[in-house]
Amino acid sequence: MLFNFREKLNSSKFLVTAEISPPKGTNVSAPLEDASQLKGLADALNVTDNQCSIMHMSSLAFSKLLLDEGHEVIMQLTCRDRNRIGLQSDLLGAYALGIRNVCVMTGDFPSCGDHPGSKPVYDLDSVQLLELVRKLDEGTDLAGNGLDGGTSYCTGAVSGINPQDILQLIKLDKKVRCGADFIQTQAVYDVGMFEEFVESTVHLDAPILAGLIPLKSLRMAEYMNEHIPGIHVPDEIISRLKTASDPVEEGLSIASGTIKELMKLCRGVHIMPIGSHKNTPRLLSMTGISGD
Amino acid sequence: MIITSAKPFEEILEILKDEDDVFIIGCNVCAAKLKTGGEPEVLDMCRRLEEHGKHVVGWALPTAACSIRSYESLVEKNETIKEARCILVMGCGSGVSASASVVDLPVYGSNDTLSLGGSSGGKLLSNQCIMCGDCTVGEFGGLCPKSQCPKGLLNGPCGGAVAGKCEVNRENDCVWALIYERLKTINRLDLLYVIHAPKEHAFK
Repeated sequence: MLFNFREKLNSSKFLVTAEISPPKGTNVSAPLEDASQLKGLADALNVTDNQCSIMHMSSLAFSKLLLDEGHEVIMQLTCRDRNRIGLQSDLLGAYALGIRNVCVMTGDFPSCGDHPGSKPVYDLDSVQLLELVRKLDEGTDLAGNGLDGGTSYCTGAVSGINPQDILQLIKLDKKVRCGADFIQTQAVYDVGMFEEFVESTVHLDAPILAGLIPLKSLRMAEYMNEHIPGIHVPDEIISRLKTASDPVEEGLSIASGTIKELMKLCRGVHIMPIGSHKNTPRLLSMTGISGD
Repeated sequence: MIITSAKPFEEILEILKDEDDVFIIGCNVCAAKLKTGGEPEVLDMCRRLEEHGKHVVGWALPTAACSIRSYESLVEKNETIKEARCILVMGCGSGVSASASVVDLPVYGSNDTLSLGGSSGGKLLSNQCIMCGDCTVGEFGGLCPKSQCPKGLLNGPCGGAVAGKCEVNRENDCVWALIYERLKTINRLDLLYVIHAPKEHAFK
């Protein structure tokens, strides 16, 4: 329990991270309550940054609230909404407030969300943002000016898992070269495909946490296949959901089977349920993972 | 070529609702090519405005609306401009601004300016360049990700690209898929591994 996330990454423990979204509004009780179910179970909570370009409370503010409740947090940071000045000042502010882990990503285009006309920033891309965090860690800003107190972030990046997608693999290679300390992936359903992905990244010196979104229905699985970039739900899972009398329960059983396979392949799982974490503690206990 | 599209006529009527005695300036370069400001479009605009009760005092078609020499050069083309109380420019945004710099009257634009593009093999190409003032297009095989990727990503595609198509519009190719094919063709796939630093956005 004394270990922070960086130390846990360096240990041999199979890690669990879980995604929490800040509220749309100022009432924080529901997401804090959701997070409290994961205390002792998750090694860190990822706090999303206006996910799907839908405006929410800031990732920084909600990360701090979770920190105050005793959670280890990974603040997500996208390139969509801030230029290099905004990104750096938020990273310094977050560090001063006690946030020690970040996970950076490009960010969905604004047209995907609820303010489709907002100006897309993307002053930096995710590779350049990793380089920026490395500079702050070294005690200077992006322009090379010295800082009165730098940062020491444990920095994550994200990746798709298609082993045939050469461009994604090259980008992942760049992310690790720019200092990514860990990788969290798109949701895994096809373990065979993920195994190939892991093999193709074996030269990269960064632990991988496999993404996991428990399925709740056949419709959800079909939607994933049709609409979510980089996700492939295999036919076998589709037919299990088709014949299940309780699809939610079947989805948890599928997810726990996937986690057991992933334990042999990578350093951890990153759980991103649609909706609340109501079933996450049970899912983890089905795989033999219990609190520390 | 500057890519423009004509605003809906209703919108132009709304823009001119408190104006009359209109003088129209077309553009015989890009807008003429795109049929948003050549002679036929200018004549059509005159006719439609008159039909809706607006008096059009006259029109002129300079070689390029963005390179008007002076007010006198417009008078030379058509001296009815002296009777005008407002100007409607059927060119790109640059044409509107250049006209406003020589005429002391309210100046309006009839087009939306979309991008710097071109045409190839009869096909219109949009978003070919964003005029960043710091060209490195050769490092991407001649295709600019700053202009053709909606996010302007310099180090590879985002996670939203699927099967070579763009997250923002699935009908469009992801420019990174095109860059990959280009670099493969010219045997320079090594360029994909270059880490590109952020662009400098100094106002020029």
